[in-house]
Amino acid sequence: MKTPIKAQMNTLLKNTSRNQSAMPKHAKIKSHKNLLISALLASMLGLSSMQSFAFDLKGALKEAAEKEFGQSQEAPAKDAAQTQTTETGSTTSETSATAKNSEPEFNWKNPSTEEEITLGREIAGNLLGAAPLVKDAALQKYVNSVGRWVASQSERPELPWRFGVIESEDINAFAAPGGYIMLTKGLYRKLTNEAQLAGVLGHEIGHVVKKHQLKVLQKQQLLNMGAGFLSSKYAKDNQLVSKAIGTGAEISARSLDKSAEYEADRLGLSYAARAGYEPYGLTEVLQTIGQTNKNDGSVTLLFKTHPHPDDRLVALGDAIGNKLDNIKNGKTLESRFYQLKN
Amino acid sequence: MKLNFKAILISACLLPALYGSTALAAEAGTALKNDTLRKEPYADAKTAGSFKRGDNLQILKKQGAWLQVKTTKTTGWVRLLSVKRGTSTAGNQTAGILSAASGRAGTGQVVSTTGVRGLSEQELKAAKFNESEIKTMESYTQSANDGRNFASAGKLKPIAFANLKAAKGTAQ
Repeated sequence: MKTPIKAQMNTLLKNTSRNQSAMPKHAKIKSHKNLLISALLASMLGLSSMQSFAFDLKGALKEAAEKEFGQSQEAPAKDAAQTQTTETGSTTSETSATAKNSEPEFNWKNPSTEEEITLGREIAGNLLGAAPLVKDAALQKYVNSVGRWVASQSERPELPWRFGVIESEDINAFAAPGGYIMLTKGLYRKLTNEAQLAGVLGHEIGHVVKKHQLKVLQKQQLLNMGAGFLSSKYAKDNQLVSKAIGTGAEISARSLDKSAEYEADRLGLSYAARAGYEPYGLTEVLQTIGQTNKNDGSVTLLFKTHPHPDDRLVALGDAIGNKLDNIKNGKTLESRFYQLKN
Repeated sequence: MKLNFKAILISACLLPALYGSTALAAEAGTALKNDTLRKEPYADAKTAGSFKRGDNLQILKKQGAWLQVKTTKTTGWVRLLSVKRGTSTAGNQTAGILSAASGRAGTGQVVSTTGVRGLSEQELKAAKFNESEIKTMESYTQSANDGRNFASAGKLKPIAFANLKAAKGTAQ
């Protein structure tokens, strides 16, 4: 169980120097030792292969991380200290002492809803830094209305759900923890009625409800703690939120595992159906996206981070079976579907 | 006979009123999975043949959640999600029976009109937190009550429907 973690850490250490230049702008702490720690976090997030690795090792890592979590007070930096000299270990206690006074703790093991929203806000704000909102208040309000109604059919209706259409001709949509959801203007263009929009937003709502993105971030945090880079106190430091999510909005560029995407499809369709919409809205959008040429740059990221629309359609079709046969009054509402101004 | 009567009743009374039935020039399609063709657009109807994943088809008609398709051998009805619009080799099909049915026809599909894109992997990594944009986004937040009013205005009626579960036997 320990061997893969060790191997991963070695890779991380090798990558540290390279990634240090790409440090996030949020580095409020000046200490170079903190920078080193954040760089390690960043490099961890930056390794694209880490994703599947982390999922493969899901059980093992969690177990190891939790075990170490409890022991970290006594042995703050096992492998790390050996490879890295003792510097890391000594800084950790200093920083946790200062951080404790200035910032609330972030409970990575079991984040509260508020903490989840804080994290999501950071990610969403970074994403908006890459692509701002479309300057059309009526559009934004319309999308929030549809999204709010669909989210009310979900298992987490109490979240302060927020939706936005962002200025990009890419075809994509994003969800961040706590209920921040964005879709691109390019995707909105592909939609022809409100039921389709409800299906797309429903898919993203499904990710938030199931905490798919949050779980990825948590796993990485627990892994960090488990490897002994950080004491549990330090790792809870809220200042680490911005570092935990990596540089910028890169978390949005990464894939969830395929089962999470299929699950979000099933939930999205279910929420839209419960909301009274024609339930095939999401599948129509998948049909449309499936027709987009793979070489079209507007779908590069989407195709990279999601199963192919054809596979999603088949999976949805199998899950649906005859379950929609009795749903008869679903609405498409193309009459009030908001038309983009440009 | 009983089956046929039921089929006619359903197709004549219910489905057209809900979804409309559309008959236009055939659109090309591709089978997404192996499936059985039915003589009528419902699950209990007699089989009319079958097709295999990847087969090219002609989509003749859409009725509710069913498509009438033509294979090289026969014609019959299959569930909507067994068929992909367009052929595996063809590019975009902007006009077609399904797009017409959903009101798409004539709107044109605009793809990558500008070189401005902020969402490549590299650009996402380089993104800087934008406080004023996130505040603007939050300013549009609707309450649950707003949502209900919006739904009523569109005559949307919530229904009971259990979350779909992954189909058994699939690798999900």
